[in-house]
Amino acid sequence: MIGYIESVINGILMGSIYGLTAVGLTLIFGVMKVVNFAHGSILMVGMFAAYWFITLTGLNPYLALVVVVPLLYFFGYYMQKIVIKPIFEAEKHVREPITVIIVTTGIWYVLDNLALLVFGAEFRVAQTSVTGKMIDIAEMYFPVAKLIGAGITFLLGVYLYWFLKHSRMGKAVRATSLDREAATLMGIKQSRIYNIVFGMGCACCGVAACVLVPFYYVYPTVGVPFDIKAFVIVVLGGLGSIPGAILGGIIIGIIETVGAQFMAATWTEMLIYAFFLVVLFVKPSGLFGLRQDY
Amino acid sequence: MNLKKFIVPAIVLAMGTASFSAYAAEKVVKIGNILPLSGPSASVGIQGKQAREMAVDEINKAGGIKALGGAKLKLLFADSKGDPTTGVTETERFISTEKVAMLTGAWNSSVTYPATQVAERYGVPFVVEVSVRDTITERGFKNVFRIAAKDSWWTRDQFRFLSDMQKEFKTPIKKVAFVYENGDWGTGFAEKWRGLAKAAGYQVVLDEPYPSTASDLTPVVLKLKRSNPDVVFMTSNAADAILLTKTMTDLKVNVKAIVTSGGGHADPSYLAAVGKSAEYLFDIVEWETDLNRPGLKETNEKFKKLYGYNLTGEAVDAYASMYLVKDVLERAKSTDPNALRKALASTKLCGGKTGLLAYNCIQFDQTGQNKNASLVIVQVRSGKDGKMERITVWPKNVRRAGYKVVFPQPNK
Repeated sequence: MIGYIESVINGILMGSIYGLTAVGLTLIFGVMKVVNFAHGSILMVGMFAAYWFITLTGLNPYLALVVVVPLLYFFGYYMQKIVIKPIFEAEKHVREPITVIIVTTGIWYVLDNLALLVFGAEFRVAQTSVTGKMIDIAEMYFPVAKLIGAGITFLLGVYLYWFLKHSRMGKAVRATSLDREAATLMGIKQSRIYNIVFGMGCACCGVAACVLVPFYYVYPTVGVPFDIKAFVIVVLGGLGSIPGAILGGIIIGIIETVGAQFMAATWTEMLIYAFFLVVLFVKPSGLFGLRQDY
Repeated sequence: MNLKKFIVPAIVLAMGTASFSAYAAEKVVKIGNILPLSGPSASVGIQGKQAREMAVDEINKAGGIKALGGAKLKLLFADSKGDPTTGVTETERFISTEKVAMLTGAWNSSVTYPATQVAERYGVPFVVEVSVRDTITERGFKNVFRIAAKDSWWTRDQFRFLSDMQKEFKTPIKKVAFVYENGDWGTGFAEKWRGLAKAAGYQVVLDEPYPSTASDLTPVVLKLKRSNPDVVFMTSNAADAILLTKTMTDLKVNVKAIVTSGGGHADPSYLAAVGKSAEYLFDIVEWETDLNRPGLKETNEKFKKLYGYNLTGEAVDAYASMYLVKDVLERAKSTDPNALRKALASTKLCGGKTGLLAYNCIQFDQTGQNKNASLVIVQVRSGKDGKMERITVWPKNVRRAGYKVVFPQPNK
């Protein structure tokens, strides 16, 4: 019995970190209506940044947040401004800009291969003060790094919720997401909002990267497994919904961990997609998605 | 003065002609080698080429094949690119155009398989030094001889090692667990493990395939921990090997031994990434540089000086294959394929330069498989400088001198 409780809690911990990796994706989609295929690569960039920061300074791994998050914010901000915006403008009148998706795919390949060239294909593991540390509660073991990660996810979720609901900028972001043209007419500069949202989406990847590095390895295509999970999570939770992404992540984490206790791990992968299909069938907009198309 | 000016070039010229005519008169035995010299397996192909060149150079310098009047060995290389069709074409060319006495190669099992078929058709002996696919020597061919251990022997030796350890340390093992990647390789190993475990009377408490691309393997490790095995057998690629090893250490999975199957666990970046978490793990490989064999150090130094890297399992097999060719030619006393085949079948080549291998003698069984070929098992330990090291521990005759095996491993 205690083993199953351990599994469930471990599932929630890992799941909330999956959710964290998906928050940036859902934020960008919610506002820009663009599926950012470079999401996993941006996570990889963040992980390399965090890895080098931790390895070179030897400081507490979570101090990397102070450096990596702003770094990724500006990385995203300027990537949107320089690479994506011109394409966006060419497709101004299209509701769902397809070419932008192709551009993000291009960014994905460029970043992954650039990392392969610069850092090589080997796997790197950062040795930090929380690496391998466990908390032992009634013979159940929980990794400290994952507990902290789940806590950071929760805080980020609350912050983003507050930001979008109550701050002036958040209101502008929501207005743009609801109706681009009306928002522009109200004096909101759409392109600037897009830059900021893309930057924030990447900054969320930065947070996820700092949470992952203390217990995960880094290599040039590390984004890919998380990428696929993030897409499932985002659609499951409802595209554009931040609580949806986090809860979607937790659900996937629980299915993965608990499912594996009853069947071979190979099957849990199938279970996740089966659950995903059922949700899409019953509630096509996802668990927390709005009924109407926004 | 004038005379001297004339004489010196004349002598040089005469010497040149003399040596040229001596060369022309000298008998040469052509050996055709098919190797992947470009493409994805190029690095091992080149290792094989360089090791052969070093061996043949030594043989020729020592007087060539004495039974054939000091005939020199001449190596011909063909690049298979790791592609079966190219391998087959090159084999045909070697046999019909170059008229080679013997063939060797071809590293990739997928190339060796059809290439040996061609050699069998023409009746030319083919020495397979490395390719591991079982079926290469299981087709009833008369001209195919393999030096390396075959695929199914990897799992066999993992279990032999385990039974030897139990005897040596008087620690009984009852429960075993299998954790393996769900691809062709992992499931293939697992299938053999099941049969071996049954034969040895072990109880299988967990039989768990997992996807190599999984982002989190905590569920698998939790399950492993709950099943509480004495020994875990693993087959993993690099990324999942790292995740599993680290998670097993984190969750304090205590077992008596972890036995892995090369692949990801033998990848140099694996040890660099997991560090101390891999301590005490047992991994199976064809060969390791620290083997306790006579002459290995010197040969390795010579090889390193020539090519800039340490001998590898591939290189040692290739090196031995050339001494096998020499031995066969000496005994056959001719290059007639029938005589060569008979000589190959009755090979008992022990010690000498082939002594670098992990076992003593090359001897072929009825199928043409070297029946003495074995694999070695290494234990991972942290060295003095904190770097992880792979130390050969099994079979006992090649164990690193003075090393004390840690079995069972201490609790975490």
